Amino acid sequence: MREEILRVEHLTYEYQPGYPALKDVNLSIGRGEKIAVMGSNGAGKSTFFLNLNGVLQAETGEFYYCGEKITGKQRRNLRRHIGFVFQDADNQMIASTVQAEVAFGPMNLKLPREEVQEQVERALAYMNLQQYRNRPLHYLSGGEKKRVSIADIIAMRPELILFDEPTSSLDPYSANRLEQVLEDLSKEGKTLLISTHDVDFAYRWAERIVVFDHGKILADGKTLEVFCQEQMLCQAHLKKPEMLQVYETLRKKGLIREGSYPRQAGELAEAM
Amino acid sequence: MKKRRLLGHQHTHFYKAAGIDYYACQSRIRHWNGCYKVCAAVWILILCLILDHPWVSAFVILTVGAINLIGNGVSFWEYLSLIKVPIAFLVMGCGAIAFGISPDPKGDWYIRLPWFFLYFTVEAFIQAAELFLKAMGAISVLYLMALSTPASEIVMVMRKMHMPKLLTELMYMMYRFIFILTEVHSNLKTAAISRLGDADFRTSCVTFGKIGANLLILSLKKANTYYDAMVSRGYDGEFFFWEEEKPVRIWQILSLGLYTVVLICLERNL
Repeated sequence: MREEILRVEHLTYEYQPGYPALKDVNLSIGRGEKIAVMGSNGAGKSTFFLNLNGVLQAETGEFYYCGEKITGKQRRNLRRHIGFVFQDADNQMIASTVQAEVAFGPMNLKLPREEVQEQVERALAYMNLQQYRNRPLHYLSGGEKKRVSIADIIAMRPELILFDEPTSSLDPYSANRLEQVLEDLSKEGKTLLISTHDVDFAYRWAERIVVFDHGKILADGKTLEVFCQEQMLCQAHLKKPEMLQVYETLRKKGLIREGSYPRQAGELAEAM
Repeated sequence: MKKRRLLGHQHTHFYKAAGIDYYACQSRIRHWNGCYKVCAAVWILILCLILDHPWVSAFVILTVGAINLIGNGVSFWEYLSLIKVPIAFLVMGCGAIAFGISPDPKGDWYIRLPWFFLYFTVEAFIQAAELFLKAMGAISVLYLMALSTPASEIVMVMRKMHMPKLLTELMYMMYRFIFILTEVHSNLKTAAISRLGDADFRTSCVTFGKIGANLLILSLKKANTYYDAMVSRGYDGEFFFWEEEKPVRIWQILSLGLYTVVLICLERNL
């Protein structure tokens, strides 16, 4: 059992009175977990993330960070520990050069200048952005902007990072590099929550899946268990991952090792 | 081209929209202290206006032009296309000084037109030429500032000069938003044109209005998400931006001093 890093209880959030976007959400997140948050458009994933990060502050709901109850003003402090990488990198860019942009978060944390510089250097090196340091953001490509938006958050050294659909609008090369970065972050012990529509990516990467539907948690469990609940997948407008379908077909024909559940092409070849 | 490669990927329309800022970002003297560049430009501008001498103005136009071409890496034709608009205004304005209209023939030279005479005097012509040079000198210096210092740095300089925070922060946001809005606008326009939104004059007008209205709504929406993103990274009502430390070199101050001396000598001796 992992040590609990964040727990949310009875979270309900309404953009307009009478129309709750989140209804009584309860979730416990363990340190270092790799969680994919899924669900159709408008299911409440982004709202949930904004609440976790403390940008939106719900009237009802309790938050526990490392076992400690977070109340009132402390909710704002959640931002120090929980970073949020927005879906559209453009909406996140605020400064005029890459370096200043990455430094924006640490500067807001009121760190001393030397430390800000150190964090920025580390984050730029992490995302392989050193040569872009002095470039203005509006002359970067989509993939480069995404990398900057992740460096922004890494520079703040959060324990838990929320990614809102990070692979959407990325070319396959950039998406692959992103997966590598996620892997590296995970190895460092960061807790990652990724909202995504890409079931194949979720199946490959996540160890736990949380499915949202109409503002409620419809399913929460280990990746394989969740993707085997066909009726639930249908209700949440999700489909079964290709690799799982291939496995099931091959298993029926007796062509694959029982219970191997390959997640990647390499594993599939090995299991056959 | 070297500098295009330097900044990597971008769209052509964007390149045009952000012309001056683009040059400022790839300028060879970008790493100089922003305060120094702005102060030096303002100082040369003041000298050019106060000394008020054609040789001084001509010298400023040539030297500053050379810095713009070599230091800021703008090619001759691009520089010419940048300053052609102010030149056009100057030519029109100075033309009005050099030439006069009179019901009777007078001046050193005149043309008879149906109801009046268009004349000019050598004296007025010299005055107009001097004014042209002076204004051109001033414009070159302002271009020197704009082409070597990105707008964000100019805002930083203003902040250091104790401009009200509200103004500098607004300027900073506007600077960032101009690029976002230009991009959104160009996307909307491309989408409209691809659906024959510019079929005839009437349709074009309607499309133009609709794009404007949509741009307003989109900008409000963008501003909202933008704010959320800022808040999520710890923004609480005040901007703290990273400023690079760019020390002013002694040789830079000395050369500005030398330049001032040369300008004064030009005015005194000639």
